[in-house]
Amino acid sequence: MEFSPQEKFWMNFKLYQLWRFVVLNFKILSVVQKSKRK
Amino acid sequence: MAKIVVIGAGFAGHTAALYLGDKLGRQHEVTVMSNRDVFGYVPSWVWVGVGHMKPEQTIFKLEPVYRKKNVKFVHAAVKEIHPEKGDQYISGEMVGSNEPVRLDYDYLVVATGPKLNFEGTPGLGPDGGFTHSICSLPHAVKTRDAYLALCERMKKGEKVKIVIGTGHPAATCQGAAFEYIVNVHKDLVKKGLRDKADILWLSNEPALGDFGVNGVQVKRNGIVQKSDEFIKSVFNDHGIRYQVQTGVTKVEAGKIHWQNYEGEEGSTGFDFSMLIPQFKGQPMKFISKEGEDITAKLTNPAGFLLVDAKYGLPYPELSQTPEAWPAQYYNPTYPNIFGAGIAFAPPGPISKPFTNKNSVAIAPAPPRTGMVSGMIGRVVALNIVDLIKKGEMTHSERMTEMVAACIASMGDSLWDGNAVVIVMQPVVPDRKTYKNEFGRDLFVSHLEMGVSGAWMKFMLHHTFIWKFKANPGWTLIPE
Repeated sequence: MEFSPQEKFWMNFKLYQLWRFVVLNFKILSVVQKSKRK
Repeated sequence: MAKIVVIGAGFAGHTAALYLGDKLGRQHEVTVMSNRDVFGYVPSWVWVGVGHMKPEQTIFKLEPVYRKKNVKFVHAAVKEIHPEKGDQYISGEMVGSNEPVRLDYDYLVVATGPKLNFEGTPGLGPDGGFTHSICSLPHAVKTRDAYLALCERMKKGEKVKIVIGTGHPAATCQGAAFEYIVNVHKDLVKKGLRDKADILWLSNEPALGDFGVNGVQVKRNGIVQKSDEFIKSVFNDHGIRYQVQTGVTKVEAGKIHWQNYEGEEGSTGFDFSMLIPQFKGQPMKFISKEGEDITAKLTNPAGFLLVDAKYGLPYPELSQTPEAWPAQYYNPTYPNIFGAGIAFAPPGPISKPFTNKNSVAIAPAPPRTGMVSGMIGRVVALNIVDLIKKGEMTHSERMTEMVAACIASMGDSLWDGNAVVIVMQPVVPDRKTYKNEFGRDLFVSHLEMGVSGAWMKFMLHHTFIWKFKANPGWTLIPE
């Protein structure tokens, strides 16, 4: 079981990763805000 | 005026102290007693251990931070807790002078973190043993020095064996070991030495990617993806060999002895090894008014503080009972004593335990570090504020309700580094709320690898140190 060449490409493609950085930060923050922390 | 004492200044204790100081510091007396006068940002010690971060970048002095929040700081090691009403105090010894110190309390937060139980595995650990650790800053520095010395040998053409994982059948914190093994791999690739090293992952997990939390499961395009397949892909991609379902029983110079699920006994050779020890509760005593040692009444056999959990349930029942996990982290016998972070006794394991035919229990203990520790510290602090202001607690958060995010570093470079971003909702599976075999919200739970993870890990280092220094806006940054 290994990552496919396409998966590796997207893991290192900086523009896509910038998008993922924004999405993941938003996801984590929104999940935390919906949790009991509020 | 109420007196609140926090023992320990790690993720749980320090978080609790900041909230307590912020909300009560002016009207009440909040004191932190810790045997260390610095806060250590533990997640970055992985980078210290490969020589990619200076140790001083991961620590800062506690006293100036506490001064801002009207919290007193006592640099001392706790020895005894006297919990009985009318004469409640803790006693300890000042670090350096060994002078006795006594602190009276109305509310006590025990957030002492773990005792690293290297003694639980003969030959384990950097002090008198043969393996290394990244569980404390001095250990991480020692590990770095040994690792860099190993690299020098490899530069001369020597081929070496590296073993990283867990050093006890009941060890926890597999995530930290995972980060370390991948960072070592990446560092060796950069140094052009990877072909000189045979790297092995040796762990007590039931399966790869279990991390002591029964693995992580996510739904992507309608298909359930599991962390064991994901981590297998990472290890195969990096040429890292793996051996799970294995409990280390003894270490000798250059040789690790182990037992596995089948009860087979074997040994693995090594030139360099970083193995996480078993965690136990800190060795402090609870003393009654009559001077009797009542520690066994307040702690479990491993020395962790008993709290409002349902203890003693067999694993099949525990795994179906989310309410068995504590909600408010107070001791039932002495409800003004709270356990936060690693110091509280969990009701049992999260991952399925296994005992082999030789009666060796190979079972990862539940991880309660990082985000989980911080969240418990906040719940405990806010409940103490409630008790003082309203007379009753209004906050609760079980590990079966908590969401946790974990960024597992796989190389610190912002250009070609990597990290696995893991989100778990909840940390401990809740099979009553989430009607699937995993007991988790498979839509919220997340597993992803990429350079963006390395950027997030870098960002977390700086934002968390900002938060823990109680700089402006610190409460807005989640634990």
